[in-house]
Amino acid sequence: MITAGIDLGTQSVKVVILKDGQVLARSKAFSGFDPAEAAEQAYNEALKKAALSANEVLHVTATGSGMELASNANSTVSMMGADAKAGVYLFPTARTVVDVGAEEARAVKCDDKGVMVDFVVNERCAAGAGAFIEAMARALEVRLEEMGPLSLKAERASSINASCVIFGESDVVSLIHRQESKPEIARAIFDAMADRISSMMHRLGIVPDVVLVGGVAKDVGFVASLKRKLGIELLIPEFPEYAGALGAALVAVNRVKTV
Amino acid sequence: MKKPSEEKKYMLEMSTKEVEELMAAIRATSKKMTAEYIERMRKADKNRPKAMQYFDEIADFEKREKELLAAKQSGKKVVGYMCLFAPIELILAADAIPVRVNSGWYDASKLGDRVVPVEVCPMVRSTIGAKMIGLSPYLELSDALISGLTCDGMTKLSEILSDYKPIWAMAVPRLKDSAQSLDFWREEMKTLMKQIEALTGNKITRGKLKSAIELTQRATKAFRRLQDLRKGNPVIMGRDAMLVNQTYMWDDIKRWTEKTEALCDELEERARQRNWACPPDTPRVMVTGTPMIWPDNWKVPSIIEEANPQGVLVADELCSSERLLYDPVGVDEWTMDDMLNAIGERYLMASTCPCFTSDDGNKDRINWILNKVKEWKVNGVIYYVVRGCMLYAMEYMRVKKVLDHMSIPVYYLDTEYTREDVGPLKTRVEAFLEMLTARVDI
Repeated sequence: MITAGIDLGTQSVKVVILKDGQVLARSKAFSGFDPAEAAEQAYNEALKKAALSANEVLHVTATGSGMELASNANSTVSMMGADAKAGVYLFPTARTVVDVGAEEARAVKCDDKGVMVDFVVNERCAAGAGAFIEAMARALEVRLEEMGPLSLKAERASSINASCVIFGESDVVSLIHRQESKPEIARAIFDAMADRISSMMHRLGIVPDVVLVGGVAKDVGFVASLKRKLGIELLIPEFPEYAGALGAALVAVNRVKTV
Repeated sequence: MKKPSEEKKYMLEMSTKEVEELMAAIRATSKKMTAEYIERMRKADKNRPKAMQYFDEIADFEKREKELLAAKQSGKKVVGYMCLFAPIELILAADAIPVRVNSGWYDASKLGDRVVPVEVCPMVRSTIGAKMIGLSPYLELSDALISGLTCDGMTKLSEILSDYKPIWAMAVPRLKDSAQSLDFWREEMKTLMKQIEALTGNKITRGKLKSAIELTQRATKAFRRLQDLRKGNPVIMGRDAMLVNQTYMWDDIKRWTEKTEALCDELEERARQRNWACPPDTPRVMVTGTPMIWPDNWKVPSIIEEANPQGVLVADELCSSERLLYDPVGVDEWTMDDMLNAIGERYLMASTCPCFTSDDGNKDRINWILNKVKEWKVNGVIYYVVRGCMLYAMEYMRVKKVLDHMSIPVYYLDTEYTREDVGPLKTRVEAFLEMLTARVDI
């Protein structure tokens, strides 16, 4: 059985095509100003990679903040529902899935079947999400990909307040004025994010094993800070940014079975 | 140069032109929102009870505004109140008209930002903003305001409004389960009684107080009948019931009671015909937290009942809805002392406001929520908090722990007096409802 999941995120669209529980293809496109168009492009590209035609896909499920824009989707599932499904599929022992994306961070508790039982979302501010790292990288004049490795070189921890992207930036500027080194500032940025996300997780209650997904899970600096903060191991899949799309494709399988 | 007595303690000077422009703009939005929300409520239930027509009409403030104006012209006094700690039986017994003045206008809250910082509760900011331009007919027509000193926002709000109106503040003891609190509260009521008598020139007699209590007892009976009808399969959408509950804050109480009874008759018939307001397997949701004030702040109940998957509100623990009238004044003997005791107990002891504390936390609120969850067969709870509503925000963890223990999902939904966050709120509510439906296909 072939199904697909489309995750229309705030920054990028991700597509996963699944055949009998195996991923056939993944593709990604920037959401840009026309996310519907981006979703269609990414989907067509994934079909091409998998050497499939659209009518061979039995069911397409969309997720993500723009899920209603996916014109070729047969159904939708919430981002939290998709996260739970993907987390338990990737790591059967997972009971908490943390998803840190461009604009939002969330934590989902789930059962052994990957059905969510509780969730929490960061308060309306991107300071606990990927956009924060981007804004701070600009302030430090380093490329986004350099931020993580840079932070690992820090010899000590300084701190900033990540209650808000704008305030965070002014805190970073004052660290620059204090002539703190870039690695130290980079680490302070990740520590502040990890602080916010771990508080959010504690409000939900942390049940191991914990899976970390979303684009930010690829950032070694953030992962190191969050592990330090939580004091537990984090399971991270090979393609963390595709978790939402994967979860949606898995939901699509069940939707085919129940129709 | 102004005389010191004319100098406002808090409020800012605004030009007549600015006031008029803002008033016109905000009133137009308010009219639009009122019409829009009523239209959406009509659409939500194909067989919406005919008796709702009356509540739709009274939901537009103008009808009641005209009545209050006429009453004032005939010499009656209007007494506004900001918290439901105001013992309205005392107002009624003095032939005055009680009306609640909290503001739900989003745009007015932005005006209030000129006087207090944005961190302050938006309902308080909105009430200040409404006063700045004379937006609320009830606030404008009030001859005096009763202010229950409950949360910090309410306490300072009354001080700010004292720039315009006589304020009768009632200190609410934060520990209610003690004899001295009840004694203290009774003294506060006696002071209030004298203030009401002085304003109206009417003596609150035993007979008049008895009639006033009987009036609210009948209202409570109708009110409870409506809430009881929500225990079974849905015969009324939650928003409709909430609107009925809320109109009690400004409607004529006798008429409100009759109309609510008529609605209940219709709902009972509806139940007999098994003509449900929405599919019986729709997830049953309860809301608790910050009050939701008509017309603008109808955002969250609308999102819940228009979501995909859909939810239906079957109960709430809101001081703008089910807490208004749930508890009757229970009188043993119709002596003045006994009646005052009964009123005192009903307003103080029965309240589940988070301003109270005890060594066991606000256990009355917990018990209310648990009772609702059990009796109204609630599947999930939305814990609604606006930014700056500290007491409700702080009690969340306590409530969550209790509900977790019962395996009742609860979701903390924080928002502001704004229309711009509907998208993200919808995403969260829909994920929550998806979880409640526990659909086999996930």
